[in-house]
Amino acid sequence: MWITLRCTLSSLRGQIIGWGLGVAALGLILIPFYDVFMAEQADFLEMVENYPPEFLAFFGGDAASLATTEGYLGMYAFSMLPVIVGIFAVIVGSGLLASDEESGRLDLIAAYPVSRAGLFWGRSLAFVGASLGILTLGWLGFTALLGGSSLDVGWGQMALPFLPLLAQTLVYGALALLLSMLLPARRLAGAVAGGVMVASYFLSSMSGLDERLATVAQFLPYHYFQGGDALNGLDWASLLGLLAVAGALSVLAWWRFERRDIRVAGEGDWRPPIPRFARRTETA
Amino acid sequence: MTINESANRVVLMTRGLRKSYGPVRALRGVDLEVRQGEIFGFLGPNGAGKTTTIRCLLDLIRPDGGTVRVLGIDPQADPVAVQARCGYLPGELRLNDNMTAERQLRFLSDMRGGTVDWGFTRELAERLDLAMGRPIKNLSKGNKQKIGVVQALMHRPDLLLLDEPTAGLDPLMQREVLGLIEEARADGATVFFSSHVISEVQAVADRVAMIRQGEIVEVAETWSLIDRALRHVSIEFKRPIGPDALSGLPGVIVLSWSDRTRVDLQVKGDMEGLINALSGLPVRDLETSKPSLEEVFVRAYEKS
Repeated sequence: MWITLRCTLSSLRGQIIGWGLGVAALGLILIPFYDVFMAEQADFLEMVENYPPEFLAFFGGDAASLATTEGYLGMYAFSMLPVIVGIFAVIVGSGLLASDEESGRLDLIAAYPVSRAGLFWGRSLAFVGASLGILTLGWLGFTALLGGSSLDVGWGQMALPFLPLLAQTLVYGALALLLSMLLPARRLAGAVAGGVMVASYFLSSMSGLDERLATVAQFLPYHYFQGGDALNGLDWASLLGLLAVAGALSVLAWWRFERRDIRVAGEGDWRPPIPRFARRTETA
Repeated sequence: MTINESANRVVLMTRGLRKSYGPVRALRGVDLEVRQGEIFGFLGPNGAGKTTTIRCLLDLIRPDGGTVRVLGIDPQADPVAVQARCGYLPGELRLNDNMTAERQLRFLSDMRGGTVDWGFTRELAERLDLAMGRPIKNLSKGNKQKIGVVQALMHRPDLLLLDEPTAGLDPLMQREVLGLIEEARADGATVFFSSHVISEVQAVADRVAMIRQGEIVEVAETWSLIDRALRHVSIEFKRPIGPDALSGLPGVIVLSWSDRTRVDLQVKGDMEGLINALSGLPVRDLETSKPSLEEVFVRAYEKS
């Protein structure tokens, strides 16, 4: 399992650096911008108050909360990060085993003396490690310029919102992994998991405006995402609940992987059912 | 263990092996026995069930029914124990294109827990003229196949499961790979390899099984299959002889006469009766052509 973990982490290093630097860059922009924001606070708040409530709902706050540290970071960073990092989770989770399987490489690797459990958990742990790596880089980006900012947040405190973010990432990664074990193609698994992620974001964001949506949203992961509020203390129940869901989805995926056939190259191809129109050829 | 005991020990056994992919019945009760130290050829056209059988042996796919034992172990119960002692070359070999051949082989060596003799691996690579330092994406199909052959042999497995081992290789390299297979057997390995290149099976296999539409058509020693088949004999006489001179001989069928001085025959089994009959006749020339395994194979398929 450790060889699998090491090799998978090694193959994910480009993704870790790319996504990690992307999240870090967001922090490097937003932290210094806070002082500008506060200096122009009145104008900003007036502008934001004129936004429709649906718009504000997407960014997880109201105009008044923007003036606070957690409101500012929540609205401009942490409300969207689950979707941004979630894209990584869905891509990597759906391809963690299915990518090698569909390319035919798993046919050789699975014939080596590494148990399916070792292969599965080695790669899953590598995914957890990669997610941790991305969020650690992101956290470094959010803390690098804290000293020169008037934001009243310490390094350790800034790590708190990254924990619910990690839980969200693991949930979407595990969901994509499970779907890749159940559905006939990786692409389909990625599409479904991505759809769930986007629907979760929209429905949970809008649930504050419509009670009927709130009923649906409570079954979706984003509903339990703390965002910038985590700066004031973690909601342990939500955090541990999300981690338990990610664990349960992973165990189901493992159970399925233990019992299914390893596909060979060419099996499991699937394309979105978008009609294709034959190009007309001009004839003289 | 004596040589005879060793040779009679069954290292690979399937009984009533069945596997379906949806409505397609890929294996319909495959019975096989491969003895220790033999090279066993598994013949069949594309889609006959060769790859499915091999993948069941390694627990890559789960059969719907039947019994499988590899090296005395049930692959479903303890796949790792089977995989540790087998070398496998997939029919559709796919490697990590971004690695060099050496890095890929080192990665696969690590997957075996570092039990691979790297000096032996290098030796294999040199014999196959494999460019170890080049990225796999820049290698031809034949060179990728060489990596597949090396990784299957590098840990000196007890059992080699090779699915079309010479696919994509030039004739010289095909010969080298067949040589490696024979050397592996000489070192005590058992070899089970599938192919639809009958000449290579004929060249190295002790026994062959023919599979068609998921069923074993025939299992026999390679030589006996050929010997059992009809051979074609043409005889030219110095002067015309009587039409009944060669009639009634056991296993001999007269196909045609030409000017009573030339006759074409089909002979089943050994040639002793025919040669005895010819001893009193004025024979100028005699030509006999032994059928190839290919002809035997085609006939077996036509019959079934």
